[in-house]
Amino acid sequence: MDYEQLTSLLSEEVPRTKTPIHRMVASFIVRDFKMWWTYKLWISLDITGTILFVASYYLFSMITTSQQVQDAGYVTGGYFTFALIRIAYQRYVSFTVEGINDSIRDEQWMGTIETILSSATNFKTFLLGETCFFFISSSAFLLISLVTGLLLGAHFNVTPLSLLSTVVLSMLLIASHIAVGILSAGIIMKIQQGNPLTWAYSWLTQLVSGVFYPLKFLPWYLEWVGKAFPLTYSLDGIRLCLQSGQDLSSLTVLSDAIKLIFFTVIATPIALYVFKKGYDAARRDGSLGQY
Amino acid sequence: MDVHGLVDLFREEAPQASSELLHVWAVFWANFKIFLSYRTWVITETLSTVASIAMYSLMGLQVEAKRLGETGYGSTSWLAFALVGVASVNYLWMCINRISHSMQNEVREGTLEQIIASPIRLRSYIIGQSIRGFLVSGYFMLGVLLVGIFLLQAPLVVTVETILSFGIIVLVMVGSYIGIGVMTAGIILVYKKADPLTFLFISITEFLGGVLFPLNYLKNYPLLWTLAWFMPYTYALDAARRVLLTGSSLTSPAVLTDLVVLTLYLVISLPLGLRVFRWGYNRIRDEGTVATY
Repeated sequence: MDYEQLTSLLSEEVPRTKTPIHRMVASFIVRDFKMWWTYKLWISLDITGTILFVASYYLFSMITTSQQVQDAGYVTGGYFTFALIRIAYQRYVSFTVEGINDSIRDEQWMGTIETILSSATNFKTFLLGETCFFFISSSAFLLISLVTGLLLGAHFNVTPLSLLSTVVLSMLLIASHIAVGILSAGIIMKIQQGNPLTWAYSWLTQLVSGVFYPLKFLPWYLEWVGKAFPLTYSLDGIRLCLQSGQDLSSLTVLSDAIKLIFFTVIATPIALYVFKKGYDAARRDGSLGQY
Repeated sequence: MDVHGLVDLFREEAPQASSELLHVWAVFWANFKIFLSYRTWVITETLSTVASIAMYSLMGLQVEAKRLGETGYGSTSWLAFALVGVASVNYLWMCINRISHSMQNEVREGTLEQIIASPIRLRSYIIGQSIRGFLVSGYFMLGVLLVGIFLLQAPLVVTVETILSFGIIVLVMVGSYIGIGVMTAGIILVYKKADPLTFLFISITEFLGGVLFPLNYLKNYPLLWTLAWFMPYTYALDAARRVLLTGSSLTSPAVLTDLVVLTLYLVISLPLGLRVFRWGYNRIRDEGTVATY
């Protein structure tokens, strides 16, 4: 091939077909699944760790009394079911708060973030694709935790309506926490190192969101701090649906759902704004691909 | 400088600090300085530790005192019971993880080749890293105990004798696991990844050691009960709880038995760990995969 032919070949306009967004997202899911599947040992150990975690709280529940959990309105299942719900939903919380961060950090680490963003894939599609895979894997871990719990004797009090309400509240849990994840990713884009926001969120919610004990145990000032976090309302609503058979027609569950919607509506635009600022700053500084 | 001058410079024998003690100190100090540069991490981890102890204290409000009384550690509170477990398991986890984590870090950063090529022996490197691990983990363990005792009023038996005894138990506990840590480091050299192993190791240790619940409850599951007493941590935690919850001394038969078992683990696992490490070290040099990740 002579150089003229080569030049004309390179000058040729390649007709590009716009790939539908669902196909791009599907490609991300397939890519992430393939990468995840190569770590089979890690997957099996992760599952073992989850089972052991549930089993630890099953044994711990043997020395607890169910009275406080029942007084808080979670009628069925006692302490073990109460703790199990938190363990099951933990993956959703960590994937939404830390998953986006981790994806960006991984791509930066491997030096592939600039390659992805210089392709026809925009950042929104990239984030959506990454989030979808995390959602699927977290759902699998939720099921594993619940099945282990059921085998160990967890009891639920559910009706078709309360199950449906649980699904709605789970969606609201994800939506409200994604705002925190996006905010934290925006900060990480700019500062290029471990994000204190994620850490602070993690330990604060652990203490004040009624994760392993009913909220009434907290002193009033910490209870007030707990009211600032969406996890508090998500866990309360989901537990009321799964342990007391309540649904969105109950005033308490409805109030939890409304607060989650309110949080999402307020926090998402702020988070997107911070993310855009961080992203633009990283592109301006030329530090997008830096780790 | 002319070419001959440059060649002479390269030929010149540079005075090297050959003392192993100096090498250990250099590795420790370099890594400790790195640790000190992560101020945000230290602050957030400290706050996170305080929050988790406060969480355990609130969890304890749901525990029935009568059921806890059947544990064999007298009429203690669950917070004190859990505090000893959480403090010791976290310490162990951080110490053991330090060796494997630092090795993996060097492999990933591509600096392992430089370390191996330097006059520093890998043994000095591991000891230096371990000392850094012991000190940093010690800071967090002390934090857990101080917050528990002074802020949350956990009823631990605190005298000079019990503190010294607890210190000795912790040292022997770490000693009994050091072989596993060195073994993991050897595996990382070859396979470049051992996170899953350490993760599984700590999950099993926490579960079977009875960090959050009395071990007696495992008696209903003979297989788990037997496995629990195969782990050195179970003996270490039992000894630590006897000392800090009931004020037993190191010479009391139960604590002494635990210490003898831990020492046996140390004697058996350390040579095994060193053997695996040497195998890994020789293999990557033979295969030329020191710098491969």
